[in-house]
Amino acid sequence: MDMLRITDLHKRFGDKEVLRGLDLSVPEHSVFGFIGQNGAGKTTTMKTVLGLLKADSGEICVNGERVVYGQTATNRYIGYLPDVPEFYAFMNASEYLDFCGEISGMSKRETAKRRDELLELVGLAGETHRVGGYSRGMKQRLGIAQALLGSPKLLICDEPTSALDPVGRKEILDILLAVREQTTVLFSTHILTDVERICSDVAFLNNGVVEIQGSMSEIKTRFRIDGYRLETANEADRDAIRRAFPTVKAEEGNVLTLTEQDTPMFDVLRFIAEQRIPLLKWERCEPTLESLFMEVTKK
Amino acid sequence: MRSLLAFTKKEITEHMRSGKILFLGILFVLFGIMNPAVAKLTPWLMEMLADSLAESGMTITEVNITAMDSWVQFFKNIPMALIAFVLLESNIFTKEYRSGTLILSLTKGLQRYKVMTAKTAVLILLWSVGYWLCYGITYAYNAYFWDNAIAKSLPFSVLCWWVFGLWVIALMSLFSALFSTNTCVLVGTGGVVMVSALLSMIPKLTEYLPTLLTDGNSLIYGVKEPDAYIAALAVVGSTALAALVGGLILFNKKQL
Repeated sequence: MDMLRITDLHKRFGDKEVLRGLDLSVPEHSVFGFIGQNGAGKTTTMKTVLGLLKADSGEICVNGERVVYGQTATNRYIGYLPDVPEFYAFMNASEYLDFCGEISGMSKRETAKRRDELLELVGLAGETHRVGGYSRGMKQRLGIAQALLGSPKLLICDEPTSALDPVGRKEILDILLAVREQTTVLFSTHILTDVERICSDVAFLNNGVVEIQGSMSEIKTRFRIDGYRLETANEADRDAIRRAFPTVKAEEGNVLTLTEQDTPMFDVLRFIAEQRIPLLKWERCEPTLESLFMEVTKK
Repeated sequence: MRSLLAFTKKEITEHMRSGKILFLGILFVLFGIMNPAVAKLTPWLMEMLADSLAESGMTITEVNITAMDSWVQFFKNIPMALIAFVLLESNIFTKEYRSGTLILSLTKGLQRYKVMTAKTAVLILLWSVGYWLCYGITYAYNAYFWDNAIAKSLPFSVLCWWVFGLWVIALMSLFSALFSTNTCVLVGTGGVVMVSALLSMIPKLTEYLPTLLTDGNSLIYGVKEPDAYIAALAVVGSTALAALVGGLILFNKKQL
């Protein structure tokens, strides 16, 4: 079942059309990477799912229930971490989680239990200082704790790692990986290494529509290029290969790329063997998220 | 209900920890003491000035101070206390819009009307406690030094002023739902009060305008009877209610 399904979502701000018919489905128990450039519409999409923005048209279902703007009942399934979470600076972490439990109608005992578990999980147990003095990383971790407090079925994180240093980023990614068992995670980002590290599914957002979407392995198979990359030791060898096979493309330095359809691999290998050309590298091209991202955003 | 109480508790804790309650407490107590003190010091001040006044041809015979002078001070000072209160609290909504702290509470399923109700209730509570504290202090000193019985319709006159404060709070809530910066809230609230004050220069309108409620002096001197305030009270009650309901509707639709 899909935990979140968005169909034909449109949203414009003044004369700027941010979302133009966005479709997205997030399977249950996936860690879903929502990838797009700054300004692609990631935050707008997430805020619309949370009922904080009113969609111009289109339908959003969370756990099979329709999202309504304003009084959003579907939010009881969702835990949300904004890009820069802001808390009441006069409270400390455990007071804040107690407050969250009270306003979301959890029992005192349940709140206390979840609070202690989560503070432990995000490494803020025993932190008695007020939130006002927290670093960005600590705020982000408290943000995850508050989002997970009500044991949500869907955890939505808006660029949780963008503003953090490498250590902070790793901590957040580890926490997201750890909670995968309990919930579905949807997080937006433009940091592709984060996606490669923890995501099971991805969607590329560009110009207000989802261009590519699917599981990581599916996408990697679908966009597999039957190609090879090779590097010669010097320019003369490189030019020799290019003269023999005009369809081989030159990249920077002495690197050449070829695709199976244009240039049969074994013909090239035979030529290299006959001419006794020394090679520094011969590798099969794998589609990277970066190349996909570039391809999607170039359009 | 529990979530409403939790949010109200949060507001009160915030006021305590940020020192706003302390500030308001000192302010209202200070004003409460100042009213009788200024009245009490008037004869002494007059005496100090007697020489220079005599030079300009004025002679001071005997200054007779009563509780009235203290109550006149009360009605002169309480507007300043209200202005300070409004200035201090004008950001009670807007600072949450700016910081985004409300987003997390609302996405946790807290209904919007509870946010508005809790904040308005806390404003009413603070104003009421502060105002009646100020009144109580002035009343006690006046009773000690002079006799409060001299002021006519005293309970009604101070009640009117308290209601005027509630009306201003309703305006603050409305403009806080409408605007996102505290400057706009101040301009909106101040603007409406100003318009009411300007319109009261037209004699035919005076008795219907909210600003009439601030005219406590006419009541205590017996220039006006309480009946004359009924129309203004009705206008204040209905516009305050309209402001609160309108504020709730706007707040429900507000994009945060």
